[in-house]
Amino acid sequence: MNPRALPAGLVLGLLAILVVAPLAGLLSLGGLQLNDPRELQFWHSAYIQRVLVFSLWQALLSTICSVLPAILVARSLALQPVFPLRALLLRLFALPLVVPSVVAVMAMVSVYGAGGWIPLGRSLYGINGILLAHVFFNLPLAVRLLLPYWQAIPRHHWQLAAQLGMNAGQRWRLLEWPALREGLPGVLLLVFMLCLVSFAVVLTLGGGPRSTTLEVAIYQSLRFDFNPSRAVALALLQLALCVVVATLTQRLQRLPEVEIGLDPAPVGIRPVFSTFNLVLIALAAIYVGMPLLSMLIDALSGPWFEVLTETRLWQSIANTLIIGLSAALLSVAAGWFLLRYSASLAFEGRGLAARWIELAGSVVYVVPPLVIGTGMFVLLSSWADVFGWVYPIVIAVNALMGLPFVIRCLGPPMRQNHARYERLCRSLALAGWNRFRYLEWPLLRRPLGLAAGLVAALAMGDLGVIALFGTPESATLSLLIYQQLGAYLVSEATVTALMLLGVCLAAFWLLERGIGGGDRA
Amino acid sequence: MLEVRQLEFAYTADEPRMHFELAVAEGEVLSLIGPSGSGKSTLLNLIAGFLEQQGGSILLDGIAIDALPVEARPVSIVFQQYNLFPHLDVHTNVALGIDPALHHSAAQAKAVDGALDRLGLAGLERRKPGELSGGQQQRVALARVLVRRRKILLLDEAFAALGPAQRAEMIGLVRQLVEEQRMAALLVSHQPRDALIASARTAFVSDGRIVTLQDTRRLLDETQLVEVREYLGSI
Repeated sequence: MNPRALPAGLVLGLLAILVVAPLAGLLSLGGLQLNDPRELQFWHSAYIQRVLVFSLWQALLSTICSVLPAILVARSLALQPVFPLRALLLRLFALPLVVPSVVAVMAMVSVYGAGGWIPLGRSLYGINGILLAHVFFNLPLAVRLLLPYWQAIPRHHWQLAAQLGMNAGQRWRLLEWPALREGLPGVLLLVFMLCLVSFAVVLTLGGGPRSTTLEVAIYQSLRFDFNPSRAVALALLQLALCVVVATLTQRLQRLPEVEIGLDPAPVGIRPVFSTFNLVLIALAAIYVGMPLLSMLIDALSGPWFEVLTETRLWQSIANTLIIGLSAALLSVAAGWFLLRYSASLAFEGRGLAARWIELAGSVVYVVPPLVIGTGMFVLLSSWADVFGWVYPIVIAVNALMGLPFVIRCLGPPMRQNHARYERLCRSLALAGWNRFRYLEWPLLRRPLGLAAGLVAALAMGDLGVIALFGTPESATLSLLIYQQLGAYLVSEATVTALMLLGVCLAAFWLLERGIGGGDRA
Repeated sequence: MLEVRQLEFAYTADEPRMHFELAVAEGEVLSLIGPSGSGKSTLLNLIAGFLEQQGGSILLDGIAIDALPVEARPVSIVFQQYNLFPHLDVHTNVALGIDPALHHSAAQAKAVDGALDRLGLAGLERRKPGELSGGQQQRVALARVLVRRRKILLLDEAFAALGPAQRAEMIGLVRQLVEEQRMAALLVSHQPRDALIASARTAFVSDGRIVTLQDTRRLLDETQLVEVREYLGSI
């Protein structure tokens, strides 16, 4: 038997328990109580239809508003491979990966809220605010996912196009579009999925029942209406939607096999100077950079003394660190064992089995964390104090949320390592600890560090499951910000948001550098 | 002596089985030439244990070695690329050939130095593979072969990335090592000239079988076999 099968099997078993048990809990509750006239009325109400339509509508609009400009910006960046601050700009575009959604919300409020640089007043709350925040997150992501398609066009093709005297339109039609259309459906569906399951942004910027998505409706059913059976039915509806989108994504997904990193990718095209390209790039940079800058300025003049002297803050920082670091450790370990096994299966020519194992690690794309959280809430509430289980549940669900990132960061280099050195290792009897020490650690520590940093930042900034289970004692910084916003303490929330951003960036940097090593050669 | 007896293998149940039969004497380098996909590398992978045969046996000095796991087989192998770990220096890459845990006695450390010296790599011990030329990298791989002291040496297009002069030099080195350590070596190459330099005898492989095994010069210059002449471009 493959010695890597056992640890991978254990991880798969734990994943199954973590996903199947809550789903079973949801199903066992029976979901919809159709014999209850009030429930029947609820499901026929305009509210539920509006929630469903709004969930899809905001996801669709957010996708269009993020990906279409991203195509233009990615093209500009590809055709403009050399200009001052290009590397810095690509790093800025990687920043939303580690910016907690609640911090992004504060940044949006800082720019577009009352007294902001571009005040939108009350109209910020609702679809406008949701779109602004979703584009803030997904435009840079889409740019980074799309850019490699231009970079994959062989240099000879560009030279041929130049020799044949193709104009920009012909180049687009004959060179760029054929390369781009391979990956575009996958990117569109990925962004759609991320917006569909977006929780914190809609919760804080939605502004009321008119702009509620399924995720938020589930949360409201549990925490405010105390109606678990309705939450269950909503969760099952959300699950069905996610399964459809995830299946489509899987069919169409041809995302580039690139490591998600903070380093600018190499470019192999001769620069073509264009004011239009530079203006587009500058606008995108302003869109992403301005909210963070504005929030920074607001926070620096905020009520630091009041915030820092509150004991809740320090307790929240401790909780944030405990949850973030534990989730990162758990997620990276689980991803490592899964990928080690899938790489060995791929090497043996069992590519399909390898792919299924990696897909199992990305189960959170199909079963949203809030659905898992709801299931756990239902499951535990019958025999235990759910709020007493906050740490293990939040850590486990956040680790699960981080697993797709681990798989994406570590998977390609691990497979490459395996393909290159497996035969040599076997012929030299390099196995176990020696293999880890001399081969895997030196060659994989960098993506390992990146994965750990990303998962930690993601978990520290999460406002999803913690909002379901969190108590004042177990609140993280994200939850504290949400509570401060709820009490109209916007200045305090801005200061806390800056602290959360600092904690996330510090944890990301320390883990990425600490594990990944300082040598970036 | 390395003997391959009625060795059979197929990648899938649908395709016909490859069938190999050959013997290589101690101190001999036997070349394998033939078109791409003919089964040359498959044969090497079977001997090394990376693939599991479906029939036949592999013997060294009359003792079957085909039931042994990869690491226990008396085999050293040199690939075209990825023979060295890029993050480890030259000395460590060679030393791994003796003990993967790198717990070496003074004598073993001296053996590594000796092998590097023998292959003209003295002074490069602390360099990383990326700081060496292609030829130097393959010399490091050969230095590891030297310290491993295994009876079978497999060279899977090991020098394909080198220029003609460097290839000839490396093959000369291989011949010396094989004779000194009394190894049985199999060299897979796409260059008939390599076979001419390396081996008194050469096997021509096609469609998963050894079509002919004979004196290298005669095979390359005088054979009337259509498959060989087509391969050599002499038809």
